[in-house]
Amino acid sequence: MSDAPISETEFRALQDFVFTEAKYADESRYDEWEALLTDDMRYRVPAGDGTDPSPFAPSIIDDNRSRLATRLRQLRTGTRLSQAPLSVMRRLIANLTAYRAGDTEYEVQGNFVVYEYQTQSTNQLQVWPGQATWRIRATPDGLRLCAKTVLLVHRSGPLPSLSFLI
Amino acid sequence: MTDIASLIHDTRVYSSLYTDPEIFAREMAEIYARNWVYVGHASEIPERGDYVRRTIGTEPVIVTRTTDGINVLANRCTHRGNLLCQAERGRRRAFACQYHGWVFNPSGELVDTPFPAGGTADRSSLRLRRATVEQYRGFIFASFAEHPIPLLDHLGHARQALDRASDLSPAGEVYIGRTWIKHLFQSNWKMLSENEADGYHVNFVHDSFAKAIKRQVKYDNVLSGDEQQVAAVVRGLGNGHAELDYAVTYDRPLSWLGVKSDRYPEYTDAMTKAYGAERAIEIMRAGPPHTFIFPNLFLAETCLVMIEPLAVGQTVNWHAPLLLKGAPDSINQRILRQGEVAMGPSSFLTADDSIIAERQWRALLGSPAWLDLSRGLHRERPRNDGVIESHYTDETPNRGFWRHYKSVMAGAPEMAAT
Repeated sequence: MSDAPISETEFRALQDFVFTEAKYADESRYDEWEALLTDDMRYRVPAGDGTDPSPFAPSIIDDNRSRLATRLRQLRTGTRLSQAPLSVMRRLIANLTAYRAGDTEYEVQGNFVVYEYQTQSTNQLQVWPGQATWRIRATPDGLRLCAKTVLLVHRSGPLPSLSFLI
Repeated sequence: MTDIASLIHDTRVYSSLYTDPEIFAREMAEIYARNWVYVGHASEIPERGDYVRRTIGTEPVIVTRTTDGINVLANRCTHRGNLLCQAERGRRRAFACQYHGWVFNPSGELVDTPFPAGGTADRSSLRLRRATVEQYRGFIFASFAEHPIPLLDHLGHARQALDRASDLSPAGEVYIGRTWIKHLFQSNWKMLSENEADGYHVNFVHDSFAKAIKRQVKYDNVLSGDEQQVAAVVRGLGNGHAELDYAVTYDRPLSWLGVKSDRYPEYTDAMTKAYGAERAIEIMRAGPPHTFIFPNLFLAETCLVMIEPLAVGQTVNWHAPLLLKGAPDSINQRILRQGEVAMGPSSFLTADDSIIAERQWRALLGSPAWLDLSRGLHRERPRNDGVIESHYTDETPNRGFWRHYKSVMAGAPEMAAT
């Protein structure tokens, strides 16, 4: 991107925001996580090897704000079986870079790995590595997330259920 | 060797059918290697030389388009057993083994062996194993049986589901793109097969979905929670095939897409041109099939699903959107989005189905028992054509699945559906 550099202070604020988002996701704190989102939030977890030019290539997740709201409502019912009981998770985020993208937005990119203890059926530790891109907007209420794209390393292979917030 | 027939009664089956590795190995040999199996759609390999990698049971195969049609070949060099194709798809005029350079033509004949002076083997006996291939409306099936029954006899009444899916396109054809989503289930493949035509679980496993969606539209009828209200039906179609049919719950065109009937005027026009107004309206009202075709194909309304057994307790559910040829992009976008709701690791539905299948498998592994499949036996409605119809929540599909399974596993050649 035509990446305007940012100040040390801005970078620190963006990093804090990303770490907060990660913490809420790890702890399945859906209300607090949702409060970080803009009304035009787009949440994507693409599938495949990234070479499919088709506009009809299916995604693992491709949520607009309304579908994401439904996803969170389903998680809050307590009977979303793939998250009942909740997975126990911790994620590490590294290699962060950030740019200013336009007047009010930033793009942050980094690598992550989520360690998930799957508690619903297999009781196994699942490892979910990948790259995430956060599009973050400065609003009068503070920084807000307007898009998150998650590229899993193993997105073209078989994946077990993934219904927590990644 | 276990007597399979003793494990399958009319209204109950024994749990080792799902957990015994010896039975799994026999299924690969008796069901997958000796009967029709779905391997792909013609739209996936449009040009000569195009191929996709698939499996017949656990056996890797190559599905490729040649000048003479579509060939399905064992993906194993006859020399020392290397995979001839590793990439999931591609275009090849010939299949050259990367281990010692043996080359096979698209018909599977061995056409070249490097350093020929040392070769003593008879090339003609070293051709790739080749399946019999038949297509119906672009859906490709293959069989390694020596003398398979005609595909249409195997499909029987399930053929209408392939028509129903294809007829939703104004061109009469669906197509499948390149990207598949693969959902790993740590459970036996039959738990997927059976769940796909199981209406009884919907109100329980998918309770969280019912509560989360604001307007139900599409699932209103079956999520009503009232047994008498549910008008959708199940059907045992013979040969192990089965379906849930929601058509009776749709009162107008396109309610299966959760939209108003006039949402896609271009599509409606194209359909009217193709089929005439009356038939077009009926096709668009009845919507897509929800049909399981034994042993590994599931027409999941807006998606196509392939079941790939990996091991006795490991299965991959592949899905891709069933796109309509000749239809405007807007409706294919909707089909794509609708599929993402239902299918895949993060979907609103199968993410939860996989958890139940995995719990089932674990329960049965540690606690062997008979499983009851008697629900609805007293109210089934056998039709004159041999199809058995019953209430949406009845276990008619399971009973049909196991009847067929039993006959195939007993080594009986598959019979045409009545």
